[in-house]
Amino acid sequence: MENDSIRKEKILLVEDEETLAIGLEYNLTDEGYAVDWARDGRQALVLFNTNEYDLIILDIMLPYYNGFEIAQQVRAKYPQMPILMLTARTSVEDKVRGLELGADDYMTKPFHLQELLLRIKGMLKRKLWYKSSTESQPVFRFGNNEINFENLHCKSSDKEFVLTQREAMVMKYLLEKKGKIVSRKELLENVWHITSEVETRTVDNFISRLRKYFEEDPQSPVYIKSIRSAGYSFEDKID
Amino acid sequence: MKKRHSLLFLIFAFVFAQLAWMGLLTLWIYWYVSNNLIFQQVGDKLSPQIVIDSPNVGVFVGGIILIVLIAVALFFIFRNLTVQMKVTTLYDNFIANVTHELKSPLSSIQLYLETLSIKKVQADKQKEFLEIMMKDANRLKKLINSILEISRLEQKRIAHDYHVYNADSIIKQLVADAVGQFRLSDNSVKIKGELQCKCVIDKDAMQIVFDNLTDNAIKYSRPPVNIDVKISRLPKRILIEFIDKGIGIEQKNQKTIFHKFQRIDNKNIPNVKGTGLGLYWVKEIVKFHGGRVSVFSEGENKGSCFRIELPIYQTSKKFYVNSLLRQTARKEKTMEVTDGE
Repeated sequence: MENDSIRKEKILLVEDEETLAIGLEYNLTDEGYAVDWARDGRQALVLFNTNEYDLIILDIMLPYYNGFEIAQQVRAKYPQMPILMLTARTSVEDKVRGLELGADDYMTKPFHLQELLLRIKGMLKRKLWYKSSTESQPVFRFGNNEINFENLHCKSSDKEFVLTQREAMVMKYLLEKKGKIVSRKELLENVWHITSEVETRTVDNFISRLRKYFEEDPQSPVYIKSIRSAGYSFEDKID
Repeated sequence: MKKRHSLLFLIFAFVFAQLAWMGLLTLWIYWYVSNNLIFQQVGDKLSPQIVIDSPNVGVFVGGIILIVLIAVALFFIFRNLTVQMKVTTLYDNFIANVTHELKSPLSSIQLYLETLSIKKVQADKQKEFLEIMMKDANRLKKLINSILEISRLEQKRIAHDYHVYNADSIIKQLVADAVGQFRLSDNSVKIKGELQCKCVIDKDAMQIVFDNLTDNAIKYSRPPVNIDVKISRLPKRILIEFIDKGIGIEQKNQKTIFHKFQRIDNKNIPNVKGTGLGLYWVKEIVKFHGGRVSVFSEGENKGSCFRIELPIYQTSKKFYVNSLLRQTARKEKTMEVTDGE
């Protein structure tokens, strides 16, 4: 309701279960979002290619194209699009696959309405933070590495690659806190917006991936350093 | 990936075991023949009276037979194992599908309950939400029932109430009931043909067959749904052709779709959710009736035709069909006795 005066944030809801979609659409509209509902993979891609969205809520088991395929296509075109996977699949493999393909968050059915709404709010807020903080300085360089935070394209020595949104966010957060120690908990709270202690391994996985991208020798990192029993710290020697 | 590797390992172990046996056998024969020659030569020299007697040959032949038996047994174990592995994969699929099918209506119900408890919902919307919840609860009930029915089906208890019916009227009634259940308009289903014969049917079980076929025709057709049911008489059997104009079935899948937990994985067809049990039931129930079912489709988007053949009463499979009737009679008698007590 508070957003009525300005442009409503637009959500693409991809869900083939009609009854669930009706309820979600009602709640999201009630929260002040504009919602488009796609009931299968094909329709989702058509809508995504013709409209602009601020966030996508994506089921995995869908007719025609599954959620993983859609996430990939969305990421290829718009790397910064926040994607929330909402699915009945609970296996760790699915979760990992979803997050690797670029989903920013993964919720399993049945879910709590309030939690879902809070996560959506958080994701949109992060998107805004990310956008505003990268607009002034989209390209960041350290050592032989270069990160473009707008299109997520990176260069490291001779390699060229694209980060996922989440990887970029972790990197961005570390860069902003350059020289300071960032704990796993802090990263979880500010990048993932979760407080669970159990998930700290997720952070470690992301860090080791980032090291593989940017460090010459990931085993003895120069930039992204581990601080024993405290967390991580980004150091830029040249500065 | 893991499963594929273990299957490869299994095949490798099997081939290796066979080669080992054959190698051993060859060595054995070679050893026997060469030693036999030496024995004969030495024996001839030492004492011409010594005769290499036949018991040795008996042991030799017995050994070969035993080895062949072991090899055959190994083969059967291997075959059994691969079948088991296949079933496990299918079962995993089934669990994944069922979990999904159970969670979807459950999350929908939870969503509406939370919405109603957290938010101020207008009266007309409240009513709409309640109706949706009822619909989801019914879906859950149906699914749970169908899972519970599997064990009854496995034990052949799903069909037990066989009676003789006029084939024409009973089949038309079963089709009409199936169509009514899915709220299809009368125009979308056409029944053609007439029958002048009798057949033995368990009405409730056969209803499941037609319900499943109708459900599939709806799921895999773009609206409007069109179903033709043709009934005709073959020399000894009744032929029911259930024809839809849906997305069709590829040649390679036409046999496997009747397998338990089987679901077709194809990019070009909508991934309609289900348990992979519907057509397995159709096949089993028709089989219990002494009939058979097959499917014919010219390919993708060319519709499908399910052909059900049932024996005509007192013309085909007399002994089997009469035994079904006798079973029903016996059961009814026991029921009467129990009721009487």
